[in-house]
Amino acid sequence: MSRRNTEERERLLRIIGLCASVENRGSSPFEVEVREILETLRKYLPNWRALDDFVLDSETLSQIAGIVRLQSDWVKRRSTSLFIDPLLIEVKLRVINSQRLLDIFQKSWHPAVEMEMLSDMKLEQAIDYWNQLASRDERLLSLPEPQGGLGSLTHEELAKRNILSETSFRGVLESLWSELKDVFQKEGKVEYWDFIRQKSYENTVKRAYLVSFLITYGYATIRINPLEEEVFLIPNSEIVEPTFGKQALTIPISVDRNAWKEKANER
Amino acid sequence: MTEDSASIDRRLKRASKLLFYKRHRQPGVKGWELRRALGGDYARIIELLNQRLDGLGLQVKIVNDSDSVVVQKEVDLDKARFYVTLKGAVSTSDMVMSGWRVDDTAALAVALALIISRGGRLARGEVELLLKEKFSGWRVESNLNRFIRQGYLVQDEQGVLFVGWRSRAEIDQNLLIKLILGEPFDQVGKPTSTPHDSPI
Repeated sequence: MSRRNTEERERLLRIIGLCASVENRGSSPFEVEVREILETLRKYLPNWRALDDFVLDSETLSQIAGIVRLQSDWVKRRSTSLFIDPLLIEVKLRVINSQRLLDIFQKSWHPAVEMEMLSDMKLEQAIDYWNQLASRDERLLSLPEPQGGLGSLTHEELAKRNILSETSFRGVLESLWSELKDVFQKEGKVEYWDFIRQKSYENTVKRAYLVSFLITYGYATIRINPLEEEVFLIPNSEIVEPTFGKQALTIPISVDRNAWKEKANER
Repeated sequence: MTEDSASIDRRLKRASKLLFYKRHRQPGVKGWELRRALGGDYARIIELLNQRLDGLGLQVKIVNDSDSVVVQKEVDLDKARFYVTLKGAVSTSDMVMSGWRVDDTAALAVALALIISRGGRLARGEVELLLKEKFSGWRVESNLNRFIRQGYLVQDEQGVLFVGWRSRAEIDQNLLIKLILGEPFDQVGKPTSTPHDSPI
């Protein structure tokens, strides 16, 4: 890809952007130099080789066609007696007060009449429906009887059907607990985000979910430094059973995608 | 009663039913629907209905349903939408009763005037910029969303605002602009109509 081609492509993208901006802002379509742009397109055309370049060229041409249509509308509108300079309107709107605007609006507003109606036909259909509708008791009776008797499934069968995981939830928690203990032993302190952060956002959320159970079930405690806004995890050497009667404390920690990205960048 | 006058009477009743009662999401009836219900000379029946409604302070309003901002010389009746609207101006007490606050009304008038003056389309950001000079951001936001919901404004996926179907049906855009430009009420007292939205 030559440097010249890249520059030409960028120029076309700028033209497309300009046309879109004129169309969206409703500003004068004569800001776009149609003749000059068409000359540019003519000059660039022999240089295009790839399909994408031709698509870009036709997109530019389509945007220019839109501008020509806007120019045509603009001329037609300006030539009517209804045309008013937008700047003049804007100036008037800035100085006019709300009461005067209310009076103006009242003068020019003629609300439409709209009434809701239940037609005879709809009423007839509704009566037919009611007459044909079985009572609730009858409808409940007609529900099919459950097929087959009650049975039991083993853990392995449930795992095969993806209903239960092969590793138990407790097992997962305990493996995470030992990981936390290892990190704590090596580094002396474990920052919450350092511990839960994973390469993918989904895995980070999954780990944060598991950590919340570590804390709830007494495998670890959490310590917060409000001044530095730091959160640390401290593994307990033994599982500390929750004490009944003691007020439980809930600490919400947002693990949204933006926070995850920020923490990943900090790393 | 002759057969002809009985038929006209029957068709007038049918026309008023069609026009008054909402049958779709938005009020009003398309010209082709009237043709199907009233026959080929439906324009004459609508004209007769309009004369009768006049005494009640109502009128039949015909609005070109196209989004084109260019005023068209002739309205294609079959494609146009017919509404019944109030003929005269709305009193302040009626406005208050219908739930319109003075600042909501002012916001709608400003938004519409700005969009009309820019040829019928303007980026929402520009409308917001002007409204936020006098109203709080959340009120501007909620007002514009409400106007869009009610059909006074339309917003496309690029965030450009257009004059909505309800504004075309209910608001005399020409008069609104004239009054904003400072023409005295008594000189523009009679509602104006453009070929774009003229009754038959």
